[in-house]
Amino acid sequence: MTMATTFMLGGVAFESRLLVGTGKFSSREVMVEAIRASGASLVTVALRRFNVGRESDDLLGPLQKLGVTVVPNTSGARNAMEAVRAAMLGRELSGSRFVKVEIHPNPHHLMPDPLETYEACKALAKEGFAVLPYMPADPVLAKRLEDVGCAAVMPLGSAIGTGHGLATAEMLRLILEDSQVPVIVDAGLRAPSEAAAALEMGCGAVLVNSAIAAAGDPVAMAAAFAAAVKAGYAARQAGLMTRRHAAVATSPLTSFLNTGNG
Amino acid sequence: MKPSPGLVDRSEVSEADVEAALDARDPSERDLCVLLSPAAERFLERMAGRAAMLTRAHFGRTVSLYVPLYLSDYCSGGCVYCGFAADRKQARHRLEADQIVAEMDAVRAMGFEEILLLTGERTPMADYGYLRGAVREAAARFAAVTVEAFPMTTEEYRGLAEAGCVGVTLYQETYDPERYAQLHRWGPKRDYAGRLEAPERVLAGGMRQVGLGALLGISDPVPDALCLYRHVKHLGRRYWQAGITVSFPRVCAQPGGYTPAFPVSERYLAQIIFAFRICLPDVPLVLSTREGARFRDGIAGIGISKMSAGSRTTVGGYRVHSESPDGQFHVNDPRGVEEVCAALRTKGLEPVFKNWDRTYRG
Repeated sequence: MTMATTFMLGGVAFESRLLVGTGKFSSREVMVEAIRASGASLVTVALRRFNVGRESDDLLGPLQKLGVTVVPNTSGARNAMEAVRAAMLGRELSGSRFVKVEIHPNPHHLMPDPLETYEACKALAKEGFAVLPYMPADPVLAKRLEDVGCAAVMPLGSAIGTGHGLATAEMLRLILEDSQVPVIVDAGLRAPSEAAAALEMGCGAVLVNSAIAAAGDPVAMAAAFAAAVKAGYAARQAGLMTRRHAAVATSPLTSFLNTGNG
Repeated sequence: MKPSPGLVDRSEVSEADVEAALDARDPSERDLCVLLSPAAERFLERMAGRAAMLTRAHFGRTVSLYVPLYLSDYCSGGCVYCGFAADRKQARHRLEADQIVAEMDAVRAMGFEEILLLTGERTPMADYGYLRGAVREAAARFAAVTVEAFPMTTEEYRGLAEAGCVGVTLYQETYDPERYAQLHRWGPKRDYAGRLEAPERVLAGGMRQVGLGALLGISDPVPDALCLYRHVKHLGRRYWQAGITVSFPRVCAQPGGYTPAFPVSERYLAQIIFAFRICLPDVPLVLSTREGARFRDGIAGIGISKMSAGSRTTVGGYRVHSESPDGQFHVNDPRGVEEVCAALRTKGLEPVFKNWDRTYRG
């Protein structure tokens, strides 16, 4: 690991800029293999999928064995109070100070609630968590969340599970312009090329779940995302050629100004 | 309820209509009608393909499992089609407090973390207080507790939520008021509107989830399916935080002798499930053990995202009276939980027992 590629998050250096989610896999074995293939150092898991009493139904155990940094998430919470409670329990059970705040009161489209997310993040940052909020791609909210001490902001690329990619690209650009914490695109990615595009734009990392778990071959897709994230980050570091918006005429259009007498 | 003007006459649906519905970005209720029409039968494989894709995108390669627990088969209802109707001459049972605990411990030992508590229509033997007590016991043992019982007041639902209940399942049975009146011969269940509005009271009472359904076989399934779809949409608009699930109970010949007046074939049941998945892509679709193992294994993950398993539909069926033969309905998938899980895994689907946490109970 060199400093040039290290991903700093919550005061910790991570090797990978690909974070992965753990829901939706066909088995825990495939999940573990896909995480390995992704090279992810940070892995998020819903507190509601912790099943301490039944090893075969538990998602926390296999992740701890894998040695990745577990990021419990509060999926299922519909308000700040529930999210804070879930975060506390997640920290107690996992021993991780990272928490991904997910508050989506509508269980169908799973869009994050900006008001409740803000309140939960404020409280959890005070409690010493490294807070990673799943949020709408809203540049003002991103700064508000940064101000209350979030370790990163995680705007959505598009709705969870839809695979519509970086539909929020214009807003992401505004968020990236002003953000002083890492911007991690969370949700909506379908193809590794979209992950590469997010890194090329300047995002610190991406979080992928459905695109890997629902792929024809999740393990191979995890490896493809890992390669794309590396490529996207390398491209960003290399300095992308400026995209030209102005037309350049092959013959100068203003030459007439130089030929006159006046 | 008759289909509204502008909706299709199912006999006039063309193949082009079906193609368009299958290709629609956001299928409408008109598309639902098209997909339920005879013309769509020939497109069953393509419907399955789209349904499978959507189920995988929204629910992943997982199937959530729950278990029903019948608390009581006392019933004041006169439902023509039901094994528990008040005029059936059968011994009635109710689980007493210690038996409730014994049954819950038995299903806990099977691995379940979501339990559905059932009673018949309201009777003095199984009233609100009794049910609330059972919810409390369940909440102490399970991550998620839901109830399928009689319609209640908003305050009663609030009380159940406070006791730890996360959701209520309540089927309208049929949305056709005339047919409803014929099938529900006496008792409080004759109140069609009171039942129809109960899911709103569930949500007004602070419950997170409500499960809807029409009992397939007792009435024309197409208008019922359309009304069910509208019911889902209506609740979603009125209660934006509501988790709505849809079940597909198909009534078969019952111990009391009921023969379905509008029999629904297995193929048509699959068509209905695919049509709902296509038109309601993010709504959990639920299937019980009314259906057989082959059908359940086949449709898991294609349209269905949640199932019961290892079910007994008799009161005390898990431990207390495990020899009792007559349940509310005949269990057509008698396999044990492990066998169901093994079949799901063979299909590349992960059975999920715990998909909720009591920390969200408030």
